[in-house]
Amino acid sequence: MSSAVVATGLVKEFEKGRHTIWQRLRREPDRRTRFRAVDGIDLRVETGEIFGLLGPNGAGKTTTMKMLSTLLEPTSGTIEVLGIDVARRPREVRARLGAMLSGERSLYWKLTGRENLEYFAALYHVPPKETKARIDRSLAAVKLSDREDDYVERYSTGMRQRLALARALLPDPPLVILDEPTVGLDPQSARDLRDRVRDLRAQGRTILLTTHYMEEADQLCDRVAIIDHGKIVALDSPAALKRTIRAEEIVRLEIGLHGDGAGFLAQLGRAGTVARQQQTNGTLAVTVHCSSARDLVPAAFDAARAYGATVLHVEVVPVTLEDVFLSVTGRELRE
Amino acid sequence: MRRYPTLLLSVLFWPILLPAATVLMGRAYSGSNDPQAIQAFAERAGTSEVTGFVFVGYAMYMWLSAMLWGPGSALRTEQVRGSLEAVFLTPTSRLVPLFAPPIAALPAIILDFAVIFPAMWLLFGVALPLDAMLRAVVVAMVGIPALYAIGALFASLVLRYGEIGPVVHLTRGIFVLACGITFPVAMLPAWAQIGSAFLPPTYTVADTRAVLLRGEGLGAVAGDLIFVVALTLIVAALASVVFRWLDRSARRTGMLGRY
Repeated sequence: MSSAVVATGLVKEFEKGRHTIWQRLRREPDRRTRFRAVDGIDLRVETGEIFGLLGPNGAGKTTTMKMLSTLLEPTSGTIEVLGIDVARRPREVRARLGAMLSGERSLYWKLTGRENLEYFAALYHVPPKETKARIDRSLAAVKLSDREDDYVERYSTGMRQRLALARALLPDPPLVILDEPTVGLDPQSARDLRDRVRDLRAQGRTILLTTHYMEEADQLCDRVAIIDHGKIVALDSPAALKRTIRAEEIVRLEIGLHGDGAGFLAQLGRAGTVARQQQTNGTLAVTVHCSSARDLVPAAFDAARAYGATVLHVEVVPVTLEDVFLSVTGRELRE
Repeated sequence: MRRYPTLLLSVLFWPILLPAATVLMGRAYSGSNDPQAIQAFAERAGTSEVTGFVFVGYAMYMWLSAMLWGPGSALRTEQVRGSLEAVFLTPTSRLVPLFAPPIAALPAIILDFAVIFPAMWLLFGVALPLDAMLRAVVVAMVGIPALYAIGALFASLVLRYGEIGPVVHLTRGIFVLACGITFPVAMLPAWAQIGSAFLPPTYTVADTRAVLLRGEGLGAVAGDLIFVVALTLIVAALASVVFRWLDRSARRTGMLGRY
């Protein structure tokens, strides 16, 4: 299987602060600091797969996508998209790439859906004879044919996202990259858009998407790279990533107690692995990985009784990518 | 215009209201048709046709506003709206969004002229010969690319610096002062006239007045027109270089998506 995207040693640094012309003329020291948004990412997306970049806001997902789509120049590292060097032949990359980066904001709201696509078809150099058919296909692919002559300002957020996806399909791209495609959508619209993405894979296209929704990555992606602070901290299929937790079930407990709860945690740790603990205002929130909740929950009650604590809440959940993120970063995805 | 037809009102009336106010103000200051005042004006402006002088100047002012701020405003609007990145994701040359937007302004500019000539005749009794108007169109066609190029130069700055409205307004003010838009360049101090000589609109507005109001032929202004074309080529080349440089800078700093 060939690779649709190969990124090697990708680094992107931004400067923070200013060094004005006046400061330069006065020869004042440059006090700008450098912030590394992407810190040495190696990535290989195989043809025909849905590949997800999962991480919290600010992890470097969008910066990575912008570098892949030629909008940002990497500080160092190399990128090949569909076998084309992004730095040397950016226009060739753009001609073969469908990208949806800023969703509904990237559309012209005072134009109709079809007018938007006609404009972008010209920018994508779609031959005039093919334009109508290409637009019809793109609109049909996102199920917007019946609203093509409505002004975009009258669309719902979900419809605008779908129109942005239709625009990305105009060049008939073998690779589609989607940055947070379902952000801000209601559950039904998000599900609808995910169905469209699956349709794209069924047509043989490669999809690279970013998301901070673990369920989305879990349900949609063939492989997921978990990204944090600009680095990929884990990469595999969702199932394989979840297997790294070495637990069948996750138990989340809320314990009311006095003191630091060290004894309680020590006793609980004999029944399972305490993955996370956080104490606020006399309540201890604990996440425990275990092979069976049936064994762990009674043990938790015993430990609470032994240390004069009260079990306030018990929740048993299956292992998710959230737990994988927690185990590799020590933080929750939503923090 | 299709969705907002009331915009047509501004296109129709501003080219008449602004210069008409200046003409009437000038008449009030000079005692209406006082021969001495008109003689003094003719010595400085090269024509005694005050109304035509002012109307042509204001037409140039409208062009300047549309051309200087048109491309920059279009890029800035795209940047703030969020569509600039989408445009830059296409394989189209990045010079297209730089040079294309003023094309949309051209019909309005042509309409300005179409409105001005009948207005001068109906309101002030100044009838201009048809052949002079055709020569003025030729002068305008040569002058438009220069304004285009200057506008593109400013538009480039949007990519790196975002909001450049105040710079454009300042520049437009300087052009209005330096290029003889509302008064003859001869009124400027000698050092300022040297600066005026390097600004293409100075020639366009002067040559338009020459063919329209003094009845001169294109041969008489040919030297100026060639000079304008040369200045245009220099400014357009500069705009392309600056645009490419600032585009690269924006891709390094991420300014394309920020505003």
